Amino acid sequence: MVHNVSYLGFIPLLPLAGALILGLMYLATCQGKQISERLYGILGCIGPVLSFFMALRVFFSLRGLPEQERFLSHVAYTWFSTGELDIPMGFLADPLSAIMLLFVTFVGSLIHIYSIGYMKGDARYGKFFAYLNLFLGSMLILVLGDGPVVMFVGWEGVGLCSYLLIGFWSDDRSNVMAGNKAFIVNRIGDLGFVLGMGFLFWGIGADGFDYLSLKANAQNLTAPVGLVVCLLLFVGATGKSAQIPLYVWLPDAMAGPTPVSALIHAATMVTAGVYMVARFSFLYAHVPAAGEIVAWIGMLTALLAAIFGMYQDDIKKILAYSTVSQLGYMFAGVGVAAYSAGIFHVFTHAFFKALLFLAAGSVIIALHHEQNIWKMGGLRSKLPTTYKTMLIGGLALAGCPPFAGFFSKDEILYSALASGHVLIWMIGVVVAGMTAYYTFRMIFVVFHGTPRDQEAFDHAHESPKVMTVPLVILAIGSVFAGFYNLPAIFGGHQKFSHWLAPSLVEHHPHGGVGLEILAVAASVVAFVIGVSIAYRKFSVPVAEPVYKGFNKFGYHKFYVDELYHTVIVRPYQFIGKAISRAIEPFVIDAPVQASGWLYRMFGLAFKVFQAGYVKVYAIYMVIGLSVLSLLVSQSLN
Amino acid sequence: MINNYLALSIVLFCLGILGVVSRRNVFVVFMAIELMLNAANLGFVAVSRLHVNMDGHVLALMVMAVAAAEAALALAVIILLHKHKGNLDTNIFSLLKG
Amino acid sequence: MFENYLSIMIFVPILTGLALLLLPVSREAARALGLAVSVIVVLLGLKVFVAYDGASGGFEFTEHAVVNESLGIAYSLGVDGISILVLAAAALLFPMVYLLFATRAKGYYANLLIVQGAMIGALAATDMVLFYVFWEVMLLPIFFMIGLYGGPRRFPAAIKITIYTIAGSLLMLASLIYLGIAYHDQSGQWSFAMENLSAMSLAGPTATLAFIGFMIAFAIKIPLFPFHTWLPDAYTEAPTATTFVLSAVMAKIGVYGVIRFVVPVFDESFARYALILACSGVVGMMYCGIAALAQKDMKRMLAFSSASHMGIIALGIFCMNVQALTGTLYQIVAHATSTGVIFLMLGIIEERTDTRTIDDFGGMAAKAPVLAFFFAVAMLASVGLPGTSGFIGEFLIILGAVKFNPLIALFAGTTLIIGVCYMLWLFQRVFFETTNPRLEHFRDLTAVEMLTLLPIVILIIVMGVFPQPFIKKIEPSAQQQLAAISTTTHIAGTAQAGPNLKTGEL
Repeated sequence: MVHNVSYLGFIPLLPLAGALILGLMYLATCQGKQISERLYGILGCIGPVLSFFMALRVFFSLRGLPEQERFLSHVAYTWFSTGELDIPMGFLADPLSAIMLLFVTFVGSLIHIYSIGYMKGDARYGKFFAYLNLFLGSMLILVLGDGPVVMFVGWEGVGLCSYLLIGFWSDDRSNVMAGNKAFIVNRIGDLGFVLGMGFLFWGIGADGFDYLSLKANAQNLTAPVGLVVCLLLFVGATGKSAQIPLYVWLPDAMAGPTPVSALIHAATMVTAGVYMVARFSFLYAHVPAAGEIVAWIGMLTALLAAIFGMYQDDIKKILAYSTVSQLGYMFAGVGVAAYSAGIFHVFTHAFFKALLFLAAGSVIIALHHEQNIWKMGGLRSKLPTTYKTMLIGGLALAGCPPFAGFFSKDEILYSALASGHVLIWMIGVVVAGMTAYYTFRMIFVVFHGTPRDQEAFDHAHESPKVMTVPLVILAIGSVFAGFYNLPAIFGGHQKFSHWLAPSLVEHHPHGGVGLEILAVAASVVAFVIGVSIAYRKFSVPVAEPVYKGFNKFGYHKFYVDELYHTVIVRPYQFIGKAISRAIEPFVIDAPVQASGWLYRMFGLAFKVFQAGYVKVYAIYMVIGLSVLSLLVSQSLN
Repeated sequence: MINNYLALSIVLFCLGILGVVSRRNVFVVFMAIELMLNAANLGFVAVSRLHVNMDGHVLALMVMAVAAAEAALALAVIILLHKHKGNLDTNIFSLLKG
Repeated sequence: MFENYLSIMIFVPILTGLALLLLPVSREAARALGLAVSVIVVLLGLKVFVAYDGASGGFEFTEHAVVNESLGIAYSLGVDGISILVLAAAALLFPMVYLLFATRAKGYYANLLIVQGAMIGALAATDMVLFYVFWEVMLLPIFFMIGLYGGPRRFPAAIKITIYTIAGSLLMLASLIYLGIAYHDQSGQWSFAMENLSAMSLAGPTATLAFIGFMIAFAIKIPLFPFHTWLPDAYTEAPTATTFVLSAVMAKIGVYGVIRFVVPVFDESFARYALILACSGVVGMMYCGIAALAQKDMKRMLAFSSASHMGIIALGIFCMNVQALTGTLYQIVAHATSTGVIFLMLGIIEERTDTRTIDDFGGMAAKAPVLAFFFAVAMLASVGLPGTSGFIGEFLIILGAVKFNPLIALFAGTTLIIGVCYMLWLFQRVFFETTNPRLEHFRDLTAVEMLTLLPIVILIIVMGVFPQPFIKKIEPSAQQQLAAISTTTHIAGTAQAGPNLKTGEL
């Protein structure tokens, strides 16, 4: 039972319209008199906030429906159709997209408000809000789109905005390069997505290419094609959600302004891959092998990124690797078919990671764009609100009970354990300990100890209200979001999982209370160990360490970037040069040039006969005539 | 009988060719060409007489008319050539050299 | 009032162009006249486009007059779904050139008029001899425009494109004569009308040779790998308007020719060699796309980019399913608009800076935000971003390619990656980074330039968001065109060896 509601289309349309208006305003005025920042800020926030209220409306109208009827949809128009292919511009709000919708618009609105303060004084203030609105609109299309093709519109749209916002300060070459890298790496994933759509369409798409039709026909998909589709779609997810082997763009993406990192590269866009896998749970549920690969890639990414995170100097890069690592957890969750657990982690992660980034942004602004943690220290007294909120965010990220991250991470680890993926669970517990370690390493170095740069410390000051209020709101979310899905052993009913049930195809594993307690205990122990190591090493004033041996290897991120550069980028450039300098002129064009040359040679050869003297020509004529008459007389005889 | 006429015609024609090929003065070359035309005329008339048919005569008259027109044109060209280079040696005019 | 829209669209530009060449007119007057004529053509083109119904898939706006009865050559015109979009592009894009480039010689505008008329003629002709005549006529103005008004190395470029193309055309002429004779042998009559020739069943090695003759002619024009080597030189040396004409319309007529003539007439040979041709398209796409990255000259880079896109466009024909074919027909116009705008803006940039070397640029977005914005939209369409015109066609082609041959589809899909590599790099070096001192006094688009380019930029977005009105016009004809193939291929037993994804046999 699907209910048609026409306001669905307006949810993404509002921010998109905002982007258009802001963009045109900026284009019209950027070289003359500037429009006031206040106007841009207000206009920029209208769209997201309105979308948030509409998302609430969607959520509550879904709640008002019986469980199996919680599908609101709206087809705006036929986008394109040819032959068996029919792609409507359709939107679907079901429990899954409603959750995504809620936190995307909520976090998005908060970050828009925060940006009013963060971007103060930037020459391209209007452009920033236009891009941010465009991003939110695309993200909402991604979440609301009914069917993979409409989802792909949002998917590419957020990629574009990510590119534009990473390279926002485009005067600096390295920023633009980081944007390029993000776009290109994402495109590699998109290739998988597009091909996956192709296979999916020719498999079961002819009877409707929207989610509900696909879900209804999913059992008609044969196993090999299903595996191919799942893996190709997952390639798309690894691009967008920064998983092995395509994770390399996300740390570089920190070149963008901090609100961008918080919104796009932590809370919303990068979780799109997890959303996609959950969205296609009806496919993955049929192909356990694909899920297995997803889970392993996810957990290995979590491990790798956690290792890198332990060695970073840049406060934003620590958070970036932690994002990659947490995304790995989410994939491990959806990989072991615990889709609701994965999505729940997406949900809680949005709060605490956005919080951490915004708090980091507050620190960065306070220190006039200093991002190296070894230049900070003792900031606890100068930035009390930032410190408190960041501490809450850190506790949530590190998985300290009862903060949000604890419940969601524990749910994933328990699901892995209960579904028999013991090795994945064990790695997960180790990563949890490492997470706690690098989070508190960061917090201790930045806020505790003594100032390392006295002058910067003296000038540091707490951020304005417009920035700290969103921090506080997100901190509240980071504390309480976890209670939404309390498992039975803590006296809850897993409301979140039940809410998502109509959208997902999932079987909750029943491992028994013993396993649950084991999982919880392991997580808590990992947290305690991680924090205590960090406390021992960094709560006292320490200087920047010098890394040796394996640590140096980790500090340089296992030289993966360099490896990619040597193995992929350089050969690619080399082939390009080889083609245009050698193959094109000397191989492909050679026959063409040779034919011209041959003509010229013939000409040179025949030129000898063209002496230019009349009597020579006359002799030719005589000879020709003689031969001709000889032939004629011969043939007459 | 006809053979004699034809033989004379061929001899005249070959003399014309020799003239065209060997002489360097444009004027003489032109006269040699006229000789060749007349050799052809002789042939036409002789064969016409043999067949008791006036076609050959017509052609001969036609050739004469053409030769007259050509002479007018060619003489004008020769005068221009002389004005241009001050000389009528054919070897000077080799603009067609490839 | 009158009904011969197509004839007017063909001959008014050609006759005006010839008159301009012969009469002593000032270049301002020539430009004004050219603009007026091109606006008339735009209005007629719009009328034809809007009035074209397309539900039946057959020809509309037909005109017919016998030219030579004994040889069966006729002056017959018509528009169907295969030609409507290309025709519209050929009709609509030209006024921009007159508006943007005001200071060219009289002959420049005259040649532009002639080439437009000839291209519309080639697109509207339904008699193959008539098509051939227009096909040759449209080459001549290009030769003069490159040779007379081109860059420093214009002579080799002009001669190369002309001789290369004519070599292909002669093969086509020979094949065309063969077709006429074959039809005469089978039916006892002479005719070069499309519907008669495509109804023939051709078999045997001679038919294959004729197929190859046609294919080479079109492959050179498109250009398909490895017949593309005239393109970088010609595109780079040609004046901007000519590059624009070449890339936006003329290359598309090659693609159109394959769909219109080769597919229905040589259905069997086509089906047999489709895989090889598809490989050629994909290899060309990758080859030119990778080569584009190594270029230092913006125009040359975009020339390679254009060739790269043509590879993927051509691939859509060879996949032999309606999605891919519709995608090709759609992409033809999508690419015409995006690449057209890019080349025109390149022309504007070149006029203001006197350079095309990428290293001479940088930070132009700060100096010319509107130009940068327009360029970005066209660039995004060219890399196939959803929401722009470029996505629909590319998506349909790749979708069709998956059915045809997944491996081809995989390589075709790399266009997503290869395209952004050079485009983003170009955009970065030209528009981002710190402003190059050379560009200190670079000014943004003037009002006229902005208003000229704006419709196309809007069209790029509209075609990405609302593609169905366009697809509706082309799809029935595409279906019909493929119906011929599918029947013959089933009979001949040369059905494509693609996988059946429904049953899962990969």
